[in-house]
Amino acid sequence: MPYILKKTADSISGDSMKYSIKEIKNSLQAQFDGSADLSVREFALKSRCGVRVAVFGMEGMVDKEQLSQSVLNPLLVFDFGNDDAAAVSERIFQSVMASSDVIALTSPDAIISYITSGFAVLMVDGADALYAIGVQGYSFRGVSEPESEVVQRGSREGFTEPLRVNMSLIRRRMKNPDLKFEQMTVGSESRTQLMLCYLQSRVSRQLLQELKQRLRDCTLETVLAAGYLSDYLEDEGSGRLFSGVGISERPDTVCGKLTEGRIAVIVDGTPAVLVVPHIFVEEFQGVDDYSNRPYYAAFIRLTKYFSCFISVFLPGLYVALAQFHPEYFPSWLLINTSESLAKTPFPVTLEVLAITIVYEIMKEAGLRIPKSLGHAVSIVGALVIGESAVNAGIISSSTLMMVATAAICGYVTSPLYPPIMMLRLLFIVVGGFTGLWGIVLATAVVLISMCAKTSLGVPYLSSLSPFSLRRMRDVFIRAGWRKLSRHTIRVQKFPETEVPDAN
Amino acid sequence: MRTEVRFSSKRFLLALMLCACSVILLLDDDLDRQTSFTFNLICLAVGLGICFLLFLPSILLKIRTDSDVPTLVRCCTPRLHLPVAIFYAMYFVYTAVFFLLPYTDMFHIKYFPDVTPCLITTLMLLGCAYAASKGVNVISRFGIFLFLFALLTNFLMFGGSIAELDFRHYHFTPEGSAGGFLQNTLYFVTPAFIAAVYACCSGTTRNFRFRQPLLALVFTGAKYAAVLFFIWFALGDYAMRQEYRTFVLSRVAHFGVFAGIESFYLALATMSVFMIVSLFLCCMTRCAGSGGSWKSILLFTAIILALYVTATYLPAVKEVLMQPALMLFFTFVAAAVVPFVYLFVGRKSNAKKA
Amino acid sequence: MRRKLSILFTVLLAVLCTGCDHARQIETAAIIENVTVDRRGEELVYTFYRLTSDEKPWGTEVPAASFEEACRLANERYIPHLSLAMLELLMLSEDVYTEVMRGDVDYISTQPSFSPIAYVTLCDEGAMKQFRQANRVQRLMEEQIILLKKNNPAVNINYLSVCNSLAHGNEKFLVPFLSSEKELKVNDFEIDPAKLK
Repeated sequence: MPYILKKTADSISGDSMKYSIKEIKNSLQAQFDGSADLSVREFALKSRCGVRVAVFGMEGMVDKEQLSQSVLNPLLVFDFGNDDAAAVSERIFQSVMASSDVIALTSPDAIISYITSGFAVLMVDGADALYAIGVQGYSFRGVSEPESEVVQRGSREGFTEPLRVNMSLIRRRMKNPDLKFEQMTVGSESRTQLMLCYLQSRVSRQLLQELKQRLRDCTLETVLAAGYLSDYLEDEGSGRLFSGVGISERPDTVCGKLTEGRIAVIVDGTPAVLVVPHIFVEEFQGVDDYSNRPYYAAFIRLTKYFSCFISVFLPGLYVALAQFHPEYFPSWLLINTSESLAKTPFPVTLEVLAITIVYEIMKEAGLRIPKSLGHAVSIVGALVIGESAVNAGIISSSTLMMVATAAICGYVTSPLYPPIMMLRLLFIVVGGFTGLWGIVLATAVVLISMCAKTSLGVPYLSSLSPFSLRRMRDVFIRAGWRKLSRHTIRVQKFPETEVPDAN
Repeated sequence: MRTEVRFSSKRFLLALMLCACSVILLLDDDLDRQTSFTFNLICLAVGLGICFLLFLPSILLKIRTDSDVPTLVRCCTPRLHLPVAIFYAMYFVYTAVFFLLPYTDMFHIKYFPDVTPCLITTLMLLGCAYAASKGVNVISRFGIFLFLFALLTNFLMFGGSIAELDFRHYHFTPEGSAGGFLQNTLYFVTPAFIAAVYACCSGTTRNFRFRQPLLALVFTGAKYAAVLFFIWFALGDYAMRQEYRTFVLSRVAHFGVFAGIESFYLALATMSVFMIVSLFLCCMTRCAGSGGSWKSILLFTAIILALYVTATYLPAVKEVLMQPALMLFFTFVAAAVVPFVYLFVGRKSNAKKA
Repeated sequence: MRRKLSILFTVLLAVLCTGCDHARQIETAAIIENVTVDRRGEELVYTFYRLTSDEKPWGTEVPAASFEEACRLANERYIPHLSLAMLELLMLSEDVYTEVMRGDVDYISTQPSFSPIAYVTLCDEGAMKQFRQANRVQRLMEEQIILLKKNNPAVNINYLSVCNSLAHGNEKFLVPFLSSEKELKVNDFEIDPAKLK
């Protein structure tokens, strides 16, 4: 609910608006409905005119010690003499307050936004200015290494929940005035703050405008995590299996992408930063690739691609071969596989599906189980499901081996795990009912879907299709830095990008 | 998301080259078996030469108007829109069935003998309908992956058959008759259907160069020649006793104990037919002026399926449809006659207005 | 949304109807690795040896006049889910090859399911006996055949080359011959097509 200011006689006559402590206090208390965490400190200054001030804040979000030292103490001891409210307000801002972060507010409607962000708002009764003072003191998680993006050689810093901290992590790495942060608010109820971060000379203006429009079109009431916005940032009619919005918890990764003309969306309250546009080959690029030797980086990249392929296709191919084309197994493998499958009561398709689903259940349980019980789960998983089920003849060892291999390979490219999982299930079902032919057809359909997908107008399979020989130096291999640094990558310059470069 | 951005002509011609190569994958049974390798090479050269001549009107149309037949029909001769659309729809339906029949026949014999081929075709057509809804650009992007897979498959197939090459029994002397020359040359003109596809879709491409279609046909010829060489020298008389000789070639290919390369071949055949039929559906919807409309795509898919089912259960219909001469006649009209007419009707300014 | 659901339903229905009933399960498929042909009394006997991990070969004997008839009878009466796609070796006894070689190779060359590079060899009675006793003998035989081909490229060791040799009129050609003298030995053996039925 916006603040409804009762106009004073002076404001009606055309002079600047003068704020009343009583009115603003009543308005805030009405809006917060007497919430226990709204704090109002009213006091009189040493002034012959009896000028009063009030400081508004939220309990637990303001650093009280800092507020006292930098604001309250200086105000209480200073003698304002015969200054009226306006002069007192001006003097406070210019020479009394000891705080370094003071923002003059343009409207009382911004009070709620600032006090809920940890600021304290100072106002002088009868003056026409409001000041937000940066004395945030809320608790937050310290900067630590992100668990989902562990590296060997790179920085150990990861994003945290507060927006300002994340901004500082990026600014420290890009000491360039070209780096710009633009603030927006999303969520009609939560009014979550976010920052668009980009390099002014590299970003495409049209792409930026498009992104802003999509964020404005977000009709969510609450935005509690960056992932909420992903759907709104995806291209209309684009396939949803793969995500056209990248997510990273590493400032160095985000900075690298900013130099390519991408835009980062930092959402307050979540350590995951969205980066758009996002293409498929980025899922296989890691920070360590650029720190390691090129030959090793190439080896790791190829391993990732191979692992992804194995994770998606191995169970489906196994089922297809076992059901329809056993002659494609080598003799020694055929004997072992057929003997192990002959001991189990279920068709191989059902077996593979069941083990895959049981594995997913165990994985989810492992994520949420308290650490003290983690050992028990491991024992249950390994001994009961693994060994005992095979010994009892419920599942075959070869099937278990295939599913386990595919599962392990899926974690090599963990951001791709959701689509890999879905495709794996799809190919198991298709392979079980239609054999290799069905898998080939399904692969063709999935490839078509990926070829059609775009991310803010940039083809999702850029570098692969549309093919770019120059960009191949950073797809399956990682060329040396001397070569890589010769040409700058700009996403808006990828072939067939539907966003022209406005620069 | 349908991408309306103009895409590289080189990539489009690559996709068409892959479509043309699939002819030898599936339809090599139409070659006269009493002809030698060298004789077939001569027929191949003549046949592809005729293909190029059929390609010329579309090429010239592209150079002069930077557009394609459906666009020119809509902007220059709107009254002819319906008859031209009907003709091309019929042509592409017929050509789709022309490819689907031997493809499903091969699978029906080999892999799913107890399953009705109509079901295989239905699933394939549903997949093709989905691809067609995405547009020509997306299908040509898919062509890059198909090209890489085709390279791998060809390497495995040819490399694995080297051990079976037999130069004692088989030779390079040209052997054949006049009837064989005519039959085989007609066969090698079959890839001219890509000219009809080009005539319908060239308006979506940019950076066209004259050498692109030429190279596409040259590489197609090279592929055909390689397949014929291996069939003649690696398979010999064994191949003449089988229906799908390229399939047998893939069966013969092996690297020590590693065999099973026919699975790659069958995958390549599946993806090639998938791409061909998807392109045909795109062409039909472009000619009909309905773009990527799901309704029109499904309608054409249903028509293809209906004709296919008819041909499967009525052998007389199948025999008529599989006549190479009939195919060639319609290809001549679709690829050469109609674009030739629009060469004089269309001009670059008209095309830019479109 | 409705359109997507109806398409998904159609596809699922079609997929479920395709071939699940006719899948050849790996555990039930009878994969035949070798076939031998010899004479028992007056009749020809085709023995189909299944792929097995046992030391002793698992053979099923089918009396038949030709390979085509033997495959048909085997599938109908003796071995359901018969699969000949992995057939690696066809062994013909020296006293029957004139009768069956041309017809059998002719039949195999028209079937897409057979691998054209499966080995064809002649053998004597002793070698046939050894073959029936131990599975490892087959491995040994295949190694010997490959070695023979290396030393003498003119020998025709698979269906493909034998079929092509037979197609070239009455020109004599060489095939492997397994003899049981001095354990197991492979030599080349000249075949005169004029003598084949």
